[in-house]
Amino acid sequence: MSTTAAGRDVATDCMVSLVGALADNKAALGRRYGEWAVSAPTLESAVAAAAMAQDELGHARSTYPVLKALGVEEPDETGFGGDRRLVLLDRELADWTAMIAANLLVDGALTTFVAGCVDSSITSMAQRARKILQEEGSHRVHAEAWARRLCRASDAQAELLIERLASTWEQSARFAGPDDDPGALAAVGLGMFSLTPARQRAMVRDWLVALLSAEGRSIELPEPVDWSAWDPRTRRWAP
Amino acid sequence: MSPVVSSTRVWEVFARREYEEPLHHVGTITEDDEDLALVAARSIYDEHPWIHMIIVPRSAIREAIRP
Repeated sequence: MSTTAAGRDVATDCMVSLVGALADNKAALGRRYGEWAVSAPTLESAVAAAAMAQDELGHARSTYPVLKALGVEEPDETGFGGDRRLVLLDRELADWTAMIAANLLVDGALTTFVAGCVDSSITSMAQRARKILQEEGSHRVHAEAWARRLCRASDAQAELLIERLASTWEQSARFAGPDDDPGALAAVGLGMFSLTPARQRAMVRDWLVALLSAEGRSIELPEPVDWSAWDPRTRRWAP
Repeated sequence: MSPVVSSTRVWEVFARREYEEPLHHVGTITEDDEDLALVAARSIYDEHPWIHMIIVPRSAIREAIRP
């Protein structure tokens, strides 16, 4: 198997990138969720946002040590995470609808990758994946219920949600990487994770299209074609 | 633009810590959506590691003895 500039095989290099970006994105998403703990539309959702923030920060904290199992030394104190995060998480989310779009698609993309790690050959990742999936169940319920609420509120709210989802998808869809990535294919072959990048996107797409369709709304979530502005280390799409 | 939400549906929340213990009242949730009410109940009333929690719409309660 070929090795990369970092001296790792391409499968491990891809897994390092995915696990590092998973941890950094969870840290950043936790911070973004936390900002809504004091400004969500209802007190109930403010508390839910705080609880989801706590979950995400905990997932990030528990995921960084997986990098050590992959042969990468990370600083012990990672604070609110490193730079391997989606561009949309660099700053506060624009509004509650953008928060729900991130809840659906960013959390959705990360959780779909984690779902493919429950039987990972990287034992420490498999252990964490099972725990993370348990806690992500309520995040999904929250996201789905708010999506339905926004779709039913008015045409304007529904259209804004679809607009926010489309712009979020441009970035979240690229977390998994290109489907022909030799590292990802090798990692799947070695059982590091089980879902190819295209399969991960298809699962999120099918779920969300069905969710909106049940509310009489449609959305297109195209397969990314242009990868020219994508960084394989950070998994950021920054055109 | 943040959505204007004015929920009016009240849920009574009951929980217990031990199997031998009966469910007891821990508080209320105001939320029209049932799924969001369940998420909110778990988030708000997380002061103990409950083994069981239920929510009941206040409108379903019937008074056997009125105060």
